[in-house]
Amino acid sequence: MSAPILELRGITKSFPGVQALEDVDFRLYPGEVHALIGENGAGKSTLIKIMTGVYQPDRGEIRLEGRPVHIHNSQEAQALGIAAIYQEPMVFPDLNVAENIFISHQDRGRWVRWGKMYADAEAILGQLDVRLDVRQPARGLTLAAQQAVEIAKAISLKVRVLIMDEPTASLSAHEVEQLFQIVRRLRCQGVAILFIGHRLEEVMRIADRITVLRDGRLISSAPREQVTVEGVIRDMVGRTIEEFFAKKTVARGDLLLSVRGLSKAGVFHDIHFDLYCGEVLGFAGLIGARRTDVALALFGVEPADAGQIWFAGREVVIRSPAEAQRLGIAYATEDRRKLGLITPMSVAANITLPTLPRYLSRLGLLRRREEAAVAEDFRRRLSIRTPSVRTEVGKLSGGNQQKVVLSKWLNAQPRLLILDEPTRGIDVRTKAEVHHMIGELAAQGLGIILISSDLPEVLAMSDRILVMREGRQMGIFSRAEATQESIMTAAMGQNRVAEAAAMAEGGRS
Amino acid sequence: MNWLRRRFQPEQIRELVLVLLIFALIGLFATQIPNYFTARTFNRISTSVAVIAVVAMGQTLVVLTRNIDLSVGSIVGVTAYVSGRVIMAYPEMSPLLIVLVAVLLGAFLGAFNGVMVAYGRVPAIIVTLGTLAMYRALLVEFSGAKSVITNLLPQWIIDLSRLNAFTVGELQVRLLVVIAVVVVILAQLVVTYLPFGRRLYAIGSNPEAARIAGFPAQRIVFTTFVISGALSGLAGFMFLARFGNITVVAAQGMELESVAAVVVGGVSTFGGIGTPVGAFLGAVLIDMLQQSLIRWLAISEFWRDALLGLLILLAVATDAVIMSRLRALWARHELRVEPTPVQKEAGHA
Amino acid sequence: MRNRLAPLVDALKSWEAVLVLILLAVIAVNSRIAPGYFSVGNQVNLFVLSIEKIIVALVMTLIIINAEIDLSVASVMGLAACLMAYLYANGVPMPAALLIALLTGLLAGLWNGFWVSYVRLPSLVVTLAGLIGFRGLALVFVEDRSIGNFPEWLNRLGQRPLVGPFPLALLVFFVGAILTVIILHFSGFGRLVYVIGNSAEVARYSGVQVRRIKMTLFTVSGVVAALAGLLYAARLGAVRGSTAQGFELDIITMVLLGGVSIFGGSGTLWGVLLSILIILNLRNGMGLAGFSAHVQTGVIGFLLILSVLIPNLAAAVRERLRLRRLARGERLATTPETPV
Repeated sequence: MSAPILELRGITKSFPGVQALEDVDFRLYPGEVHALIGENGAGKSTLIKIMTGVYQPDRGEIRLEGRPVHIHNSQEAQALGIAAIYQEPMVFPDLNVAENIFISHQDRGRWVRWGKMYADAEAILGQLDVRLDVRQPARGLTLAAQQAVEIAKAISLKVRVLIMDEPTASLSAHEVEQLFQIVRRLRCQGVAILFIGHRLEEVMRIADRITVLRDGRLISSAPREQVTVEGVIRDMVGRTIEEFFAKKTVARGDLLLSVRGLSKAGVFHDIHFDLYCGEVLGFAGLIGARRTDVALALFGVEPADAGQIWFAGREVVIRSPAEAQRLGIAYATEDRRKLGLITPMSVAANITLPTLPRYLSRLGLLRRREEAAVAEDFRRRLSIRTPSVRTEVGKLSGGNQQKVVLSKWLNAQPRLLILDEPTRGIDVRTKAEVHHMIGELAAQGLGIILISSDLPEVLAMSDRILVMREGRQMGIFSRAEATQESIMTAAMGQNRVAEAAAMAEGGRS
Repeated sequence: MNWLRRRFQPEQIRELVLVLLIFALIGLFATQIPNYFTARTFNRISTSVAVIAVVAMGQTLVVLTRNIDLSVGSIVGVTAYVSGRVIMAYPEMSPLLIVLVAVLLGAFLGAFNGVMVAYGRVPAIIVTLGTLAMYRALLVEFSGAKSVITNLLPQWIIDLSRLNAFTVGELQVRLLVVIAVVVVILAQLVVTYLPFGRRLYAIGSNPEAARIAGFPAQRIVFTTFVISGALSGLAGFMFLARFGNITVVAAQGMELESVAAVVVGGVSTFGGIGTPVGAFLGAVLIDMLQQSLIRWLAISEFWRDALLGLLILLAVATDAVIMSRLRALWARHELRVEPTPVQKEAGHA
Repeated sequence: MRNRLAPLVDALKSWEAVLVLILLAVIAVNSRIAPGYFSVGNQVNLFVLSIEKIIVALVMTLIIINAEIDLSVASVMGLAACLMAYLYANGVPMPAALLIALLTGLLAGLWNGFWVSYVRLPSLVVTLAGLIGFRGLALVFVEDRSIGNFPEWLNRLGQRPLVGPFPLALLVFFVGAILTVIILHFSGFGRLVYVIGNSAEVARYSGVQVRRIKMTLFTVSGVVAALAGLLYAARLGAVRGSTAQGFELDIITMVLLGGVSIFGGSGTLWGVLLSILIILNLRNGMGLAGFSAHVQTGVIGFLLILSVLIPNLAAAVRERLRLRRLARGERLATTPETPV
């Protein structure tokens, strides 16, 4: 193989109290898709930030085509031909597609030649086989299209190293396929691609080489042909994974929630299911299946426009989260940082937020001691690792933040708890704790809706599984009927499975 | 529907509506106010619009970057006063040189704003709220409570406001108006054809992304404040020519008037949306309304500000309700990736 | 030991501590240059000259922490004062006129609140429209006249001490300040003000009725501004169309100098109270030293910019020092290896 284009030697980086990276050696060759995987906190994002100049390494050196380089900021990285694309692309919504591609260019003359710019943009998108109207504003582009625009921008800047940080996390299966096609095109053109991914199945499909990080150290790096999924998981976790905590079957309680013909124009259509006390109803489906939208309708954030909801025996109309909460419905969001927590405020203040009136005196004054006591109680029960309940939530790790979100809603003592991706991005230990907790809550008689893209998790935790695809309910599977295959078939639609398989084949040849 | 989408942008539709509204109001006033349709009315309104329009252009550039310049009123006051004093002291000085003094002084005051916002990372509303007071204070100190009085000015500057550039039928177009129109056209060309101009939209559209996008976002924000200051300086000179008498409170409140013009003209306070031409139409609409209501006997002239407040609110509410729908409609499109023939790819590898 | 001192150290590093130092410096200078500075008369006078602004600044603090702004307060002050004068001049009994003026403030606040909370327009623009519009309404009532000749009891209430050396307006401020501290820092409502200021979305997803809180704040702002306008009218004994014009900028400056973030979510009323004291003492001292009101405002404007600039610069310097330390550390770590 040719010489590496980018080489990291002995990279070490620490933050106060954390050894983020320790003596990492890493090579990236032109024309390869190099996957970098590891659990959260393994050091992947620190490594990316060092490559793009956001952080400076404490020790070690970076070589570009054999020459040592110092990268001080993202502009310098860009000038060297290193660009990164993030999960949430950084586009300018008010500029059109072509402008987004060329806005950073310094060499396109003193004034904007619109006609030439459109033609050039079309040519670049053409190279990627992407069809997109270059005159349309970027506002309203899907995430996948925004990523395509960013990739086109990177190419137009003659990028030689493209870092893709979990680009597929929010894409539908179809979009992932489109993205992979673009990635393959880039590979043919000799671009070195560093692909950070969470879904092993995808990584195995796209990568030429797989490198695993754990606790800031490089554990293994091998060509795709030489690795197995089991081996990779072992390297990531550091031990063979234990069985999922499987939920015990509890005797079905009373009917808690009935949903009939719930629809929202252009979002989801004709959702109908029953949920009993003590039951966990899994919501399975791919990204874009609109599972979260159904949850938002039940919680009153984005109410449905047709259909009926019966809750605890009477028909209800839920127009706002406040109303939902009054009925006894709680919803723990998937986006904890943006929608779940006030990060600059204390653990205690976050936990009591939905139930604040309980901690007020008759004059409306805060009873801080009681508030702290409740927070302290949750800290012990859920073993939230925090110096104190007065600590800012933003300073906790992802797993502990998730526990704060759960505490916040458990404290509301709901009868129906909707959990949206409760274990996404949290470490294995916390994950097991959360699973245990879900089982316990169901045993106490709560009805639980569990939305999760982690199929083994849904299978292990749910009594029944509702499968959605593109806003439609594909069926409800009992525990006996549910297998990986049956759920995936329903989630992707029969023809889609064949299509994806064919595409994967095509890429491999 | 599709040809409409390809032909026009939502902004252009909005501007068309503004033009129609302006003509409709002129029609209304013509039936209500005696002697409205005259050259004199045109002159009064057009010279009044000219000053505020120049200020509004600078404000537009600043607001496009999701900032705001509240110091423009004070800059207009300072430059009007200083250039007045300079003329009084050196009556022989070339007019162009005096304009230059006003523009440079304005640019210098704007540069202070720019440094604080772009490099000091102090929010623009705080910086310009501070300089709004500071520049006015400088003026008061500098003037020693003496005013610039028309009688003490040389004749040419008094004539300047009545100087005709050209005549269309009965309508005489003043030089000041021509200057303003040129500024508007230049501003529109800058934001349409210069990379600098496009990057204003980028910065306002997504300041986070602009910081790491690989163009000098800080310097661009700095420059917009300098331009806003320089245009306020030019407007200060025009203000002097128009009124002659300059006290220490001259042009007080013009910052709000310019923000109002920009907002009515469709420039979003969140940046990234709007055009100089739109802001100009906003300035025309507001000023025409103000100048005309004074003459409308059916309604007390004192109603004009109350109506103006309502107008601003309606303009923004329309934006929020109708324009955002339109923009969403315009933005609907999807990604298609052509399946790559397997052979072609294999051939490359 | 160090742990027990940590909160104290933090407190000393806080913005409020900086404000205390500035305040002490201003007081020290004032007492040197002005002989009568410490007299009760001067101390009361110092408050009375800006009393209406600082009353409104209390509510403004809550609004800015809530990540909104109310530019219309000065116009509401003017509107209430002018409407009261107009009604009284047209034969409405004074108590009724005062009540109607207060109700108008309530309506103005509801109006602003409606557009901000229910139509979701940016408050900067809504209240800018209010600034122009409410001032315009005030002009509709008084036109270009000056209206005075209020009943004697109103003038006395506005100008004379009511309890001890304190006039009514000062008492209103004291009570208002205590109430606002309690509401902002010790009540559930205050907690929600901070929560919404940090993230209205998280608040909504937590079942908080965001619109109701915003609505309440703007309404209270309207009523308090109207009350302040009436106190101002009573103190001056007459009103005109331009009464209280431009006060909004002074009021906002007081709040921001107090360390409240213009982006909402942070800041304390303690900081604002300190900044009010600084501004009043600075104005008082500069007034005694013979500077005009415009110059006083200019100096305060400069202080406002510095209040944000200096923390920013300090952070930048700290960051640079940290990087330099790291670089030095790297050299130390690599030196032993170089001989190889």
